[in-house]
Amino acid sequence: MKVKFETLDRTTLVVPEGRLDFGAAAEFQKQIERAIAGEGATPAVLIIDCAALDYVSSAGLRVFLLAARAAQRAGIGFALCALQPAVREIFDLSGFSRIMTVHPDRSSALAHTPPGPV
Amino acid sequence: MNEWRRSVPSDAAQLPVLTQFLQEFWSAASLPSAQAMSFELALEEIFMNVVMHSSSVTGAPHIEVSLVLAGGAVVLTIEDDGAEFDPLTLPQPNLEASLGERPIGGLGVFLVRQLMDTVSYQRLGATNRLRMSKHVERLREGTSQGATGPIAK
Repeated sequence: MKVKFETLDRTTLVVPEGRLDFGAAAEFQKQIERAIAGEGATPAVLIIDCAALDYVSSAGLRVFLLAARAAQRAGIGFALCALQPAVREIFDLSGFSRIMTVHPDRSSALAHTPPGPV
Repeated sequence: MNEWRRSVPSDAAQLPVLTQFLQEFWSAASLPSAQAMSFELALEEIFMNVVMHSSSVTGAPHIEVSLVLAGGAVVLTIEDDGAEFDPLTLPQPNLEASLGERPIGGLGVFLVRQLMDTVSYQRLGATNRLRMSKHVERLREGTSQGATGPIAK
């Protein structure tokens, strides 16, 4: 799996591409932790754009759960967006779409994710 | 189309081998890729469960995966010769817990049960056998390519 990062003002966008399985989960977790800690300045908002995420297993869900909690602890706004239908099904079945904010697309996530009190 | 079988040691590094095995079966059987994810997930979750539960006490077991298309359904069977373990006895996760209270883990087998039509466990002698099936739509009826796939054993 490849992960791209984009920065828009004080928003960090994390864009995972490919398969988030057991083999990819540990590295993705480290990358998210680094994004939350911030290089220099801590971001006010972290959005994970899943448009290019083809597959997620429970090992991947675990990383999303840890990321949402870490963002909450750090006072950073957090949301997901653009889940593909098969990935969306996994989020719905696991109840994760109820405990995390999921937007249909990136522009809606950017418009509606309030920044954390940093 | 014949049954496909693949044996691997109980090692997380084998997961890509099994995923590729499933994907090759999927394309040889002319099944639509949109329906593959449920089986990829079932394979990963059950395989990783065996890897995690196969302690050093009994040594690393061998795992055999088989796939067959029968009566409009794909049947995925995963067998291992490790200690007796029925993953269907694992407790259900609490889906109502809040973000902070949600336990880490416990979702894998739950998702498999949700995604598959049938899931059953049997202990046969020294073997754990988990059998899963789900109805699939074929792209074109009657285009089975026969036993062209890799017969790895």
